[in-house]
Order: sequence, then C-alpha cells, then structure tokens
Amino acid sequence: MSQDQDRTVSLQLTARMSLLPVATHCVETAGKAFGLGREESLKLSLATEEIFSYLSSHVCRGDILDIRCVNGLSYVRVEFRFSVSTLDMGALNIAASVDCENEDDMAEMGLAIASRTIDRLNIIAERQNRICLDIEKDKNYPGVPEITNAPVDVKGALTVETPDTEGVKLYVTRVAQGPPDTLRPPFFQYPGKVADMVTAGDCQVVTAVDARGECVGGVIIRFRTDRIVEVFGPHIFCRTREDEVAGLLLDACIAKTVRTKAIGLVNLTGMPPSVQLQFELLGSLRYYWDDDKTFTRQWYYRLLHEDPGCQVFTDGVLKDYLQREYGRLFLAREIREVRDQGEMKAGASIFSTEIRREGSMAIMRPLWPGAFSRKKLSKTSFFHSTWESPGTHRS
Amino acid sequence: MIEPNLDLLVPAYVREFEPYIPSKPDPELQKLYGCDHLYRLNNNENPLGPPPGAQDVIRRFPPPRGAVYPSGDSYYLRQEIAACHGMEPDQVLVGNGANEVIAFVIKAFCGQGDNIITADKTFAVYEWVAVFSGIEARVIPLKEERFDDRAMLNSIDAATKVIFLCNPNNPTGTYWSRETLIAFLDEVGGRQIVVVDEAYFEFVEAGDYPDGMSLINDYPNLIVFRTFSKMYGIAGLRIGYLAGDLKVVDMIRRTCVVYSVNGIAQEAALACLRDETGHIRRTRDLVREGKEFLCAEMGAMGLPVNAGEGNYLIVKLPGSDTLAYRKLMHEGIMIRPMTGFRYPNHIRVTLAKMDAMEAFVTALKKILA
Repeated sequence: MSQDQDRTVSLQLTARMSLLPVATHCVETAGKAFGLGREESLKLSLATEEIFSYLSSHVCRGDILDIRCVNGLSYVRVEFRFSVSTLDMGALNIAASVDCENEDDMAEMGLAIASRTIDRLNIIAERQNRICLDIEKDKNYPGVPEITNAPVDVKGALTVETPDTEGVKLYVTRVAQGPPDTLRPPFFQYPGKVADMVTAGDCQVVTAVDARGECVGGVIIRFRTDRIVEVFGPHIFCRTREDEVAGLLLDACIAKTVRTKAIGLVNLTGMPPSVQLQFELLGSLRYYWDDDKTFTRQWYYRLLHEDPGCQVFTDGVLKDYLQREYGRLFLAREIREVRDQGEMKAGASIFSTEIRREGSMAIMRPLWPGAFSRKKLSKTSFFHSTWESPGTHRS
Repeated sequence: MIEPNLDLLVPAYVREFEPYIPSKPDPELQKLYGCDHLYRLNNNENPLGPPPGAQDVIRRFPPPRGAVYPSGDSYYLRQEIAACHGMEPDQVLVGNGANEVIAFVIKAFCGQGDNIITADKTFAVYEWVAVFSGIEARVIPLKEERFDDRAMLNSIDAATKVIFLCNPNNPTGTYWSRETLIAFLDEVGGRQIVVVDEAYFEFVEAGDYPDGMSLINDYPNLIVFRTFSKMYGIAGLRIGYLAGDLKVVDMIRRTCVVYSVNGIAQEAALACLRDETGHIRRTRDLVREGKEFLCAEMGAMGLPVNAGEGNYLIVKLPGSDTLAYRKLMHEGIMIRPMTGFRYPNHIRVTLAKMDAMEAFVTALKKILA
C-alpha cells in the first residue's frame, strides 16, 4: 500500500440521517488512527455530526455523499463531497451568530457549533457542480522551552540547504526562542509540528549554514493557494552578515518556487529590511488590542513572472479604490464594474476562519460568494483591524 | 453533457505543470499599459530583420503556394546546411524552431525513470519539455555564471540520457572554450547524449569559442542545435535545426513530426545561408555598439552588468525585476525579468538599435529615480 493510501480513509454513503452514526464513527476512528488525541477526535466527530446532519437534511438529502479522512501528519482533514445547485451554509462563518427562534435556525446552530470545534474550514467548487467542504483539526505537539539563545557568530562561507528533520526542529526552536512576535504563526511554537508539515509536503524549509555547519538563519515557504507562496522569514540568527544571509535565503526561496505554479510570493509576518527592497509594499494592517494598544504590520508581495495584465470585475463601491491601488502597484488592469440587476444569487457567502488561540486572533478569508444580506452582516462580529494602503490613512 | 474526468485522463506530471503564458500581442500590451510605442527588448530578436535575400523570399512568396504542402523534411535546406558544415544531409533535422528539436531529442532518448541534466540558470525549455514529458530534469547551479562541468558530470547516473549545454549561455552570455567542451565530451565518453545549443553561435567573436559542428565526427554522442531566429532574424517563421552523427540522427528522426516547417520558412532560411551582403557583420556591429553604450550608461548609474557573448546583457537592479518590468512597460519598453531564470532582481536586455537603447536608458533612469 502506498504512503498516500496509508494516509486516507474513504467512505461513500447516502446522505440520510439514519447513516449518521456510520459517518461519525468513521471520522472518529480515523482521527484516532491518524494520531489525533481523544479530545480532538471527538471534536472532529462532533463537527462531522453537525455537517452531516445539515447536508442530509437541507443540502443533498438522499444523494451520494463522499467522506474522506486525510492524515496530514500535523492535522486530520475530513472532506465532504457532494453535488448541489445552490449552497447556503452561512452559519459556517465562525463569527456569525445564530438566532434560535425556529427549527431552521437550530440547523444553522449545528453548523455554527461545527465551525467552532475545528481549526480550519475550506470550501472548494469542483467540476460538475461538485462541492468539497473540508474541515481540519490539528494534532497536539509539545511547545518550545523558553530559553534565550545568544546570536551565532558566522564563520567562513555560507551555504543554503534543505535541512533534515532535526535541522528543521533546530531552526524552528531558534525562531521561537527569539524575540516575541504576536503575529508569528503558532506553528513556530511547535518544532515537531513543522517537521511533520515538511514531511507531509505542506511547507518547505531552507536554512543557511556557515562553514562550521552552524545554522545562521532560515525561512519557511508554504503554498497559500496554488498560485501564491507565503514566505515566513527569512529569520536571521547572527549579528553580522545579516544581509548576506537574508539575501541567500530569499534567493533559495525564489529558486524553489519560480518554476512551479506560483505567480508570486507574499510576506505577511515581517522580514529583514535588507530584503524588503526585493518586494513591493502591498499595504499595512493596523491591529487594535483590548488595552487600546495598536501596532502596524506591513504586508509585502513579489511577482515571480511578467504580469500579463487582466480584467477585474468589481462592485462600483470598490472601483475607484482598485483603480488607485492597481495604479500604485503598476499592475495593468482593466476594471469592469458589475451591478446587481436582480439576478438570483447563491445563499450566504462564507468566510474561512483560521483560529490563532495563542494570539487571541481569528483570520477570516472570503471563500464563497453569495448574498451576504445586511441581516447576516449585522450578525457577524468582525475583528478590529484596519487595512491601510501606503499614502492613505485608514482606507 | 458528461465532462471528461481530467484527473484520471491526464498524467500527474502534465496536470502539475504550469503552462508558459506568452506575452500578449503588441497592440494589446500598448492598450493595457497605455503606451503609444513599444520597444521589444525581451526576446533577443534581431532589429535589422532578416538578410535582404530572405526578405525578398518573404515578399515574393506566391500566395497559391499557400495551398501546397512544403517539403516534409526540408529537403533542400538540409542539403544546404549539410554542405555548409561538410556533412551528410541525413545528419540534419529541421524543426519548427529550435524548441521543436529539443522535444525531438527528449522523446527519442528518454523514457519513464530517465533523467536529463542541465543548468539552473539557462534556457528553460530543456527543463520544461523534460518535466511535462514525465522525465526528471536535474538542474545544476551555475558556477561563476558558467555551466559547472564537474558538478554536471557528478550528477550523471545510469538513468541519465541527455545533457543539455547552452553555449554561449542564455542569459549569462558565458561560454565553454573548445578545450573545456572537449574535456567534458571525453569524460562523458559516449555514455550519454550531449546537446550543445548554439542558438547564439553567429554572435560570438571570441577566438576560443568552439564550433560544435566540427566536433561531431569525433564525438558521435554530440548533437548541435542552431536556429534562424536570432542572427538571421526570422523568428516569426519558426525554424531551427539539429545536426549529429548519422545513426544518432536516424533515431531522432523517428520522433520527428514531418511537415512541421512551413514553406516560406524553408526558403527564407536557404536565403539566409546564402547571404553575401554582410548581414552578420552589420548585426555584430549593431550589437557591439549597443553593448558599449549600455555598459557605459549602466556603469554611470552604478548598476552591475553582465555582458558576455550574444545580443543581450544582464543588468542587476537594486530591487524587484518583475516590478521594473511593469514600470518599464508603462514607458513603452519591454525587457525580460530574470526571476524566471532564477536570477531575481536582474533584467535581460536585447541589444538593439540606438534609439531603442537610448529609450531604455531614459526609462530606466526614470523608474529608478
């Protein structure tokens, strides 16, 4: 049996409530077999129960439903595949609140519960009207001990390398033991988790070593989508030759991604000033905390190829903003305005939500377009942050 | 309507391959970027166009001949090429641009589990064709901007079938001397096919630069590529060729699609070979003038330049090359950003006529100001 086959469990069944125990039992058992703890397996099973119930009652009752559990090494993913013509699962917006006034609201309550028990949610429209809704639950890993490391003295020639498992853990540990950073992704707290992510192919790590083999820096790259690669770092562990180390690491990132499907790199979590010149400033996000403190983080991107130019379709509200921003970024775009002319729309739009419990933060990303009515909007509590473009204030 | 299941029908190595998106036609680009002119300094085209004889062929091509199939194997052209190099016509295969002959070679020699060896910073098509054919491409980092002969030799294993060298290299303009190439061929010892792509052969004036054609008799595992797209200025007609040992070429012929080279291209290429008007000298003069001018201007701007052989040079910028591409496009200048060649923050500029060179310098000064 191949490694891929070892890491998946598939189940095909009819979307009927009578088969609910089959689905939940399968997911719970697979979760345990794939290394989730008891509590995480149960949460995944609970989310499965709510999603299966909703699908078999409101979305694809009596139709074929494919459930696939995937061992992502650092997480377990459950995929629900079904066919629909319209989709309204707005309650999956993790920040949405649900009324409990009638039976339909109770069904949405189930989805809201499902969305809150898992770590990530994603929805993909596939071919032939197929929808893939997937949920993920992370495994638990031991954290990094709180020790402060002295900067490394660089000796001799520098090289970049793809580290083995121990090298990955060493790099991640050094990052975590460096200066604190609220926006650093939580996986940097768990070296074993990053090692599993690398093994699973979810991300790649490149490190820079000096002539003695001492790790003097590193960087993580991860495909955020098929087309966009997110760069975490470069992180530098030395006081001298920082620019050289950062430049080498960034060049290695580009070499690894430039002949893939990626069209660009983004950095949302900060990088050394010396490599910022190689990126373009996309904008900045100001974060507001409960104690009225704020801080701003700049977001950068870099295209890997010639931009071919394209058309952009947008609501009129955003037209001027887009024109100004595309102009600032020298991106040739023909902006076309779309208007609501009474045509039928899908149900509620859906946002994916990534929970960062350590940072008291949730990141919402638009997943599914739909009629996000004012009523729905008013039931959604947005996190308090402000996007700023260079040269503008709180646009 | 039942849609085909492309996940099952298409091999993973094709599904995963990112297709190359060529740039839009000039009028579309000018509209998109709002510029009233466009200097094409991105594809190493010859701004002088084809030699006069080839221009005459194109001008006089009788329209009714459009209905007639061309020679399926470029019969007369192969005879002429063979005569130029002192070989048999059957040692030559003509393709729809040198890109097509790359595909012929990989199809002829590589099967599942095999690999090819090339460099990381070189013409990308060797790597692309291998990858979307399910063949491993081993890309060896350049050493001091040159193909690293030792590292390439060390990468050879039992599954290595073809080694691709680009001489002079696009985009670095560096080349292997005759001595280096011969030493490499000696070490390979006929166990692998060695392809030497000489797309920019006619531009090179260095005395120790080897003519690969002259080595075919001694090294039957050597295949040499040439093209009519660069020096001879008929890139729009798509025609290039390979030459090699009779038995080797006979094998490649099995994977060659006949009738892929159109009639005008064949006749124009013949006229290129017969040119006696000094087309190569004129082009070399133009390239030399452009190179000297750009080297001086870039030097004055404090920008490092890599100006080797060929009708192009590389400029290192202080920031992103893909951003510079977009800014220059708004100024009506089209260059090649080098990130795709694994040279981030570098641009390759075709050496062209002085009006284009001056416009490029003006635009570059403006965007870097």
